[in-house]
Order: sequence, then structure tokens, then C-alpha cells
Amino acid sequence: MRLFNMPPQIVRLCLVTIGIVGSYLVARAVLTPPSFREYGFFRGDALKDIMALPPQYGGKVSCDECHSDQFTKLNKGGHKRLSCEVCHGPGYAHTQSPDAGMHKPTFTVCSKCHEANPSRPKTHKQIVLKEHYAGGKCMECHVPHSPAEVP
Amino acid sequence: MDVTNVMAHVASSVDVTNILVEVAPRFEGYVYPNEASPEPLWGILIVIYPYITGLVAGAFIMASLVRVFRVQALEPVYRLSLLTALSFMLCATMPLLLHLGHPERCYEIMMTPHLTSPMAIFGFVYAWYLMAVLLLELWFDYRQDFVEWSQTEPGFRGMLYRALMLGVTDESEAAVKLDMKLGWIISIIGIPSAFLLHGYVGFIFGSIKANPWWGNVLMPIIFILSAMVSGIALCVLNYMVLTWVRRKKIDMRCLDMMAMFLFYALVIDAAVEGLDWIHRIYSAEEDFSVIRYVATEKLFYTLNIGQALMGTVLPLLMLGLNQVVRKRLSDMARKRMYFASALMIVLGVFAMRWNVVIGGQLFSKSLRGFMSYKMQFIGMEGWLLGLVVLSIPFIILTVMIKLFLSERLPTAGHTPHPTPPSN
Amino acid sequence: MSQKLSRRNVLAKISAALAAACAAPAAQAAKATVQKVLVESGGAKGYDPTKHKWAMAIDASRCIGCGSCADACKKENHVPEGHYYRTWIERYVITKPKPGSDEARGEVLVDSPEGGMHGFGPCPVPKEELLQSFFVPKLCNLCLHSPCAQVCPVGATFDSPDGAVLVDRKYCIGCGFCIQACPYGCRFMSPVTHTAEKCTLCYHRITRGLKPACVEVCPVQARIFGDLKNPVPDDPLQTFYKNNRVQTLKPHLGTEPRVMYAGIDKEVR
Repeated sequence: MRLFNMPPQIVRLCLVTIGIVGSYLVARAVLTPPSFREYGFFRGDALKDIMALPPQYGGKVSCDECHSDQFTKLNKGGHKRLSCEVCHGPGYAHTQSPDAGMHKPTFTVCSKCHEANPSRPKTHKQIVLKEHYAGGKCMECHVPHSPAEVP
Repeated sequence: MDVTNVMAHVASSVDVTNILVEVAPRFEGYVYPNEASPEPLWGILIVIYPYITGLVAGAFIMASLVRVFRVQALEPVYRLSLLTALSFMLCATMPLLLHLGHPERCYEIMMTPHLTSPMAIFGFVYAWYLMAVLLLELWFDYRQDFVEWSQTEPGFRGMLYRALMLGVTDESEAAVKLDMKLGWIISIIGIPSAFLLHGYVGFIFGSIKANPWWGNVLMPIIFILSAMVSGIALCVLNYMVLTWVRRKKIDMRCLDMMAMFLFYALVIDAAVEGLDWIHRIYSAEEDFSVIRYVATEKLFYTLNIGQALMGTVLPLLMLGLNQVVRKRLSDMARKRMYFASALMIVLGVFAMRWNVVIGGQLFSKSLRGFMSYKMQFIGMEGWLLGLVVLSIPFIILTVMIKLFLSERLPTAGHTPHPTPPSN
Repeated sequence: MSQKLSRRNVLAKISAALAAACAAPAAQAAKATVQKVLVESGGAKGYDPTKHKWAMAIDASRCIGCGSCADACKKENHVPEGHYYRTWIERYVITKPKPGSDEARGEVLVDSPEGGMHGFGPCPVPKEELLQSFFVPKLCNLCLHSPCAQVCPVGATFDSPDGAVLVDRKYCIGCGFCIQACPYGCRFMSPVTHTAEKCTLCYHRITRGLKPACVEVCPVQARIFGDLKNPVPDDPLQTFYKNNRVQTLKPHLGTEPRVMYAGIDKEVR
């Protein structure tokens, strides 16, 4: 086979090269995801995939819809900066359907922040639980939604 | 703060140990929670991958000595070296693929290659080296033989050779001359390509600035040099084993020449690796106490004994002795020393790959603690799979030798180191 | 149907723009329209990633080490059990120098039992030997020059236009290169999906107008979160930047973390 008077080796190799490069380009056209490079060097649809994941924590504002009394009380006291879900646990499911219950807080939610530890900032209120009250029933004396209040 | 001091403190108090070193004594000091894995992220398969790629590059350089630098004494191992390079090349991506979390998605690396990633570029370097260099050089060298063999050999072999001719039957003097000329050009392109191939493997590690054990400008160079050393040593072993299996006499001129190149390559390799250590010790950066602990304690056997003593010092002494007093040593003594040196080098370079890959994962990137791993025998990162993966290129090489280096098949008269094109 | 129509509209707009004048600005405008419509029709509730730039800051001097953030992160993102954390808390304990020693400080002990998600035990050093101690929350540093996105061979991990560094778990090949490249240990290989995973800045939350879970539950506002492109009145991030001298982690690596820390020590890395 003589094409443009080229030696047969070269012709064969050119054909093989064209075949390889061509099939690569075809494969690339077919297999590159359509949304690739939409925003940058990644699959643009990945953003939508990640956005679509369901949340577990509903956010503090959503609690106000039904529990505005507790919500208002909380926002007046020393715990005003706390989100409800710090102690009550994730509540997105509860906001969607009230049947989905919430975590019942025990004294551990108090001690996880207020147990004395020298690594904690000095300005943070801390107690040594064993010395403070061995009974461990914080709510006998404290109102979590309004820490300054005495029940 | 010296990490070893911290650990001495940790060890000095049982209470402290219980609190500070969580779960198991696998970890010393503090490691980031995500690093507290019982297995390294990159295990034996990633050790094997640069090892195999290095053997490819080294074996190819060996073949180039014949074709480009026209070292005639090495002619008996020209085709053997190229076939060695090809068999290992065909397996180079295997450990990588086996290691991936999603091997079925590997095509993405060619479809959407992220050009800032050393790993993505490696896909193209690999394809270039396999198809544009190795296969082409072999094809030009073998084409005339394929034409001959396809006529004389019956059955499967005949069909194979006929297929490999790619339909080019021209056996004229001009055509063969062109083959040789093109092969020579490919070989010249091949040398920088071999450096690029293995330099890139080194760069995959050298570019990780997060890891002081890896992130090092000398890493690609060390990888290239150790690749040359291991590749030449493997060719020495393959040649000696092949002649022994075939009950042939070893061409001592060829073997002496290989040993000489092995010695020179090893000298340069040892010098650059030594330079790397001198630099690390002298500059003694933030991470030095960690690096020192890894090198002297955690990797004591594989680094100091395996890589430095067995893989470098002893072969240097033996091969060096042969350079000085070669004439006074008998053929048998030289053969034994060459074989022992080559074997130690091949194992030593494996230890070097191990030290790089595993060593970089023995300490926390917080530079405050260390991890320990126990090698499994079974499993994706176990010894067994590693041995299987490492043996496959040898199986392929055996088949290739049977097909393309058979004693029954006459080879055409041309030599692989023709007079270079002289217009 | 409406999507189809809007796409057709867009195509019409593009061809109109191209036909009117094949000028580059026109083409660019058409491209912007395409992007906008795609975003709006893609079920993302009108969220446009090009119109936000999220950032986080850490005021470590406030952190009480309660572990709520690490715990909430695990729950919010279904992070696998075991040694896998998208965020965690470290405790630094610095002892007094040994009696008679001429050093400024003693030893530095760091720990993070279970990422601190269940809080911390008593101080490992007796009170008399303790010089100082503090907690440091850790998370993805949202690097400006993220080494993880740089090394990803396929573009499966990337800097999103709105400031998060994300992983596309449908596209990740699981090579682990990004995990090796992250200087801060913020990534891990998920044993469930066999892909790399990391902090997404709770991307599914922030695009819905919620705060990241760790920020939501932090009782002391040690984690400060906001949108640099859309500051709100009394923006907590802007206040933080104004009132603090900040540091980033491992600045010598040139990753330029966008997560800035106040109140940390030279020993934090």
C-alpha cells in the first residue's frame, strides 16, 4: 500500500494513531458528564446532589412556630444564645411531623458544658458536680430555659 | 517542643497514657482523629506501583545503552531488556487500579484529566510511554522478524506474528534500514520519556507539601536514579537466570559491562540520596524530630539495614571491587558477586519504595505523634496480593520470552545499533 | 415541561444574541443567562452559588470543649462510626517547666478522644503542674489554594464557587491522593461509599438558609459563620474580623486557609 509515496510502516502507524486518538476523542465526548465545567473543573450537578441531602437539625427559628412560649423565655435569659437543639438534639424530623419525638434531655446536657475543667475559659460558669450536688438532678434548683430563675 | 520528649512524658505516667493515647497502643503521641486508622491509606499496592514503574524505566535505559549509546557489548540483552520493560509496563497500572475505592470509574482520569494533578498527567505519560515508545521501538526492531516468522511458523504463533506485522510485509533493504532509523529516533525520544515517566511517579510523592517525608524537590530525581539502578539490576538477574535455564554460556563481556553500568548508576544514586539526607539533617526544619524518629526507630530495619546497608553499601563494595580487580577474579566469582549484588539491589530498591510510601504514613501531619501498622497476609493490602501482583509481570515476561526470544526462531541479521543516520 | 420551555427560551436567547452581534460580551451574557436558568430550574430553590461566599472563623478562646459540634456533625452528615470526623476538637495542655529548668514552658500534650464528640475527661496533668490549657475546634480550613482540589486527578473534589470545598461522591475514584495532600488531616476515606469525605460546610444546610450544624449547636459562639458577599447587619463574621488578631494554621504551606483562628497558640497546627 502506497499512499502519497509514504513507506508502508508509516502509513500503518498513522492509521493506528488516528484510530487510537479518534476513539479517545469519541469516548471523551460520550463519557464526560454534561454538567462538567459548568462552574469550574467539576460536575456542576454535584452541587445539586449535595444540596439535596436532607438536614437533621432544623435550626432554632423553626422551634418558634409551635413553642413560642419556651422560645421567648429562653431568649430572655442567660441561655439566650443557645440553640434548642444543643440540649434537645436534632429536630428536623420533628419540625416536619410533630409525631417524630425529640430527645429528652437529662443532667448530662448540663454537665457537658458546666462540669469544671481547667481547659475551659475561666469566664465560663463551671461546677464540680460531685461537690456541687451529688444527686445530679440539676433541674431541682435550676430552670434550663432561664438559668437565673429559681423554680 | 521535641516530640520524643512528649512521648517520654506520655509513657512515664500510666494515667496520662490512658487518657492521651486512645484506644490502642498503635498510636504514640497525638495523631489527628482521621489518621487513627488501623491500616495505612496507601499500602503495599502503592509500594509496588512505583517499584514496577521504576523497573520499566530502568530496563528501558538499559536497552537504550545499546541502541543510542551503541554499547555493543550489551547487545545480547537488548531485546531481553525491552521485553522486561514491556512486561512490567503492562502491569504498572494494576496495583493502582486494585487500590482504588472505585476502580470502575478509572476511565474518568482520561476523560476529565485534572491538569493540576500529577496523577492525572501520569495517565497520559503512561499511555505515551507504552504506545509511543515501548511498543513502537519493539515493533520497529521486530518487524522484519515477524515477516519471516509468519511464513515459517504454523498455527497460533504464525497467526500472532502475522497480526503483529500490521500488514507491512516489505523486507527490502531500504525498509529495514528505515525501521532501524525510526527505532533509533524512538529510542532517543524514549530516554527523556523514561525519565519523565518515573520522574512523575516521584513527583506524585514529591509534590505533597503536606507531608515532610515526601514533599521534597529531590524526590523525582531520587526516584529516577533508583529506578535506573533497579532496572539494570533486574536485567542482570533476568539475563543470568535465562542463560542458566537455557544451559547457555554467559557472555562475560556483556555481564561485566552491565555490572559496570550498575555500579556507576548506584554511585550516583547513593550520592544523591546521601545529599538528600545531609540536607534534611542540616536544615533540620520543624519536622526534623519526627523524621529522625521515623528513620532511626520506626523504619530502622527497612531503611538502615534494608535500603542503606543491603541495598546500597554492600553492592557498592562488591561491584566496586570488581571494577578495581576484575582481572584477578575468576568468571565464577564475578558471576556470584554480580548476582548477589543485583539481587540485593532489587530488594533494596523495594525497601526504598516501602520506606517512602509507608514511612510517609507513620507519623501524624500534626507532627505530634506516630502510627504503627501491622501488615496483613490476606486482604487488599496484604502480603499475598502483593506477591501475586509482583509475580504477574514475571509470568508475562516468561510468555514473551517464549514467543519473541525463542531459541528456535532465527533472527534477521540486523543489529539494534546501526550506524546512526548519516544523511 | 416548563424546564424544556425555559431551555428553549435560553437557546433562542443565545441564538438571538449570537445573531445580533457575534461579539464576545453578548456571548458571555448568554452564557450567564444559561447558568442562571440552569440553577433556577435544577431544583435548587433559586440558590445561585455564584452569589455567595461562605466562610467560617473560630474563636478558640471561647471554646468550652463540650463536643456538641463534633457530635452534631456526625449526626447531621451521617459520618461513619469510628475514626472518621469532619470536625473535631483538640485539647492542648501545656505544663509548667520542670523545677530548675530554664525553659519558658514545659511539655505540650494534645488529645482528642473520639474527636472530642463526647467531651473531655479530667485534665491529664495535676493542677500544680499545669501552666495553661485550652480547646481548639478543627474543621476543613477552606483553603484559598486548596491542595486537595489541586491534586484530585478527575475533578471530583473542587472549590465550589461559593467557598466550600466539596467532594462529588458519584465521581470520586477513591485514590486517596487528596487525603494525603490535606495538611490538616480533615479528610478521610469513607468505609461506606469508598470515596473521600470531608466537611462540606453543611452545604445542604447553608443553601437552604440554615447554619452549619456545628455552628447551630455551639453554645458559646466559638464558631462564627457568614456570607462574605452578603453581610447582614451586625454580621458576626465582620465583627470577628474587626475585633480579633487572627492566625491561620500552617501558613508556611501557602494554602491560605480561609478559616481564621483567634485565641490559639504557636503549638496549634
